Amino acid sequence: MDKLNSTLTAVKSLRSNVRQCFEHLADGTDGEAAEESRNKFVHEFQDKFGAINSQLREVEQLINALQVPQTAYSLGNTAYLALETAQDRHTLYPQLVNSYKWIDKVHDHSFLAFNNLNQNTLRRSYNYCSQKRPRLPFSSFNNDPDHIDKLLSEINTPPHTSYRVFRPFGSNAVAIVTISNVLKAAIVFKGVLIEWVTVKGYDEPLEQDDLWAESRYEVFRKVQEHAHSAMLHFFSPTLPDLAVKSYVTWLNSHIKLFLEPCKRCGKYIASGLPPTWRDLRTLEPFHEECRNC
Amino acid sequence: MGVTVLQPYPLPEGKSGAYIIDHLSKRLLSLGATHAGQFLVDCETFISTPQHGGAPSRAVHVLHNSEYPASTFSIIDNGTGKQVSLVADNIFDLLMLKMTATFASKKQTKIESRGARFEYGDFVIKLGSVTMMEHFKGILIEIEYKSCVILSYCWEMIREMLQGFLGMQVPKDYPNYFTTQTIMNAMGQQQLLHAKHNDLYEPMDTVKQYLEQFTNYRKHVNVHVGGAAGVSVQPIHMPPSSIVGVGVGMGRP
Repeated sequence: MDKLNSTLTAVKSLRSNVRQCFEHLADGTDGEAAEESRNKFVHEFQDKFGAINSQLREVEQLINALQVPQTAYSLGNTAYLALETAQDRHTLYPQLVNSYKWIDKVHDHSFLAFNNLNQNTLRRSYNYCSQKRPRLPFSSFNNDPDHIDKLLSEINTPPHTSYRVFRPFGSNAVAIVTISNVLKAAIVFKGVLIEWVTVKGYDEPLEQDDLWAESRYEVFRKVQEHAHSAMLHFFSPTLPDLAVKSYVTWLNSHIKLFLEPCKRCGKYIASGLPPTWRDLRTLEPFHEECRNC
Repeated sequence: MGVTVLQPYPLPEGKSGAYIIDHLSKRLLSLGATHAGQFLVDCETFISTPQHGGAPSRAVHVLHNSEYPASTFSIIDNGTGKQVSLVADNIFDLLMLKMTATFASKKQTKIESRGARFEYGDFVIKLGSVTMMEHFKGILIEIEYKSCVILSYCWEMIREMLQGFLGMQVPKDYPNYFTTQTIMNAMGQQQLLHAKHNDLYEPMDTVKQYLEQFTNYRKHVNVHVGGAAGVSVQPIHMPPSSIVGVGVGMGRP
């Protein structure tokens, strides 16, 4: 048993050494020009490589020294699984273990998700809001059409952005926003509340009879995802006008979607996409991966 | 359809074209790009037969791009650098065959770029090897960013991407095709064309870039075109019978 233990420890340390070596390789050198740092890098790599080699030899020796156990280890009830005689059921055991692992994971994730969802306040149901603040008149969803027209015309639009408002669903408005030559967005209102946003590329059609189709470009699908989370962030049933105004300001910051590098990593492209996320307060551009780290 | 930039890849000494293409595609795949089919861009040039009265001869370049399989692109070049471009259905090819009386095909200058097509996010990257009459001429790298229609918006992105997989520095300025260019007008005067980097990009721009590069390759007969990026070619006006392989006054959009 001791031998087995020490072999396992050796394997473990070999694995961690290999991992360190790869991490070292992935980090790379500091500067491209510095010959010295390059040499140092190569030397360190050689050292680590040597250590791995010697450890590998050690593991091999330990394994060779191991003896085949005389009696089978007792595995409890699971041992019966291996006793299955039918050929086609032999693979059941690893599958069983896998599904146990998955169930465990699903448990953990759903528990976390449940906690998270309970905490956040992004509920958009009207009853919920009006119950909380019964004294405030809550009328943002049945505003008259003139109000929305006035609101959209009041938003001081930058010259590169144009709005087209029409009402395909009775009194509720749909605004098609074209931001420079970069993107088009359809904002579907319910009263003054923003109900849905579709983002598409400048060369894609976005008409009133097809407001729901997704963009064929990955970058705009990602922007639409972010636009939805921003929609929830700016949602404010008590001050609906302000919510729309701040949302449109945020949306307008996409004018430099392709022009600005990420504020954190300073690069333009990360996994094939430009910085698609705009900070909700500062409007600074970030990659999706960079925004949380 | 988005902004496309065409770059010749300088062939290092002692390396074959196939080796470079293989090397670059391996890099692209390890970056996370996926292989997405093949592509082909070909170009055939027709020259007007000399007429009485010494009218200047014209060249008609007929190009096909596998990205737009239902279209035939043609560019008329009257030798002064001014170009008239036309996008037509594929049947245009048959029309050209009927016009042999006025336009003769220069078969020996038929040139094409073909190779593999890769996709990475919204980028499309094409590694093309250029062949003229079955002779290898060089490597053209086409990179398209599908979701943007104006070069000045996304040039820095395209540049970063190019530098990423080519492993070499790409100049900060816009590519030649998009900057202000001087052409000779009919009166022999210099005329400035406005820069294209703020214009909406059209499929014709891709085709014109190919024509520009193909013309460079045709001019460098038997010479490996290394680092032809940024080489500005003066418009040359010659009678069609002069030198085989020299396009007539083209290369300037």
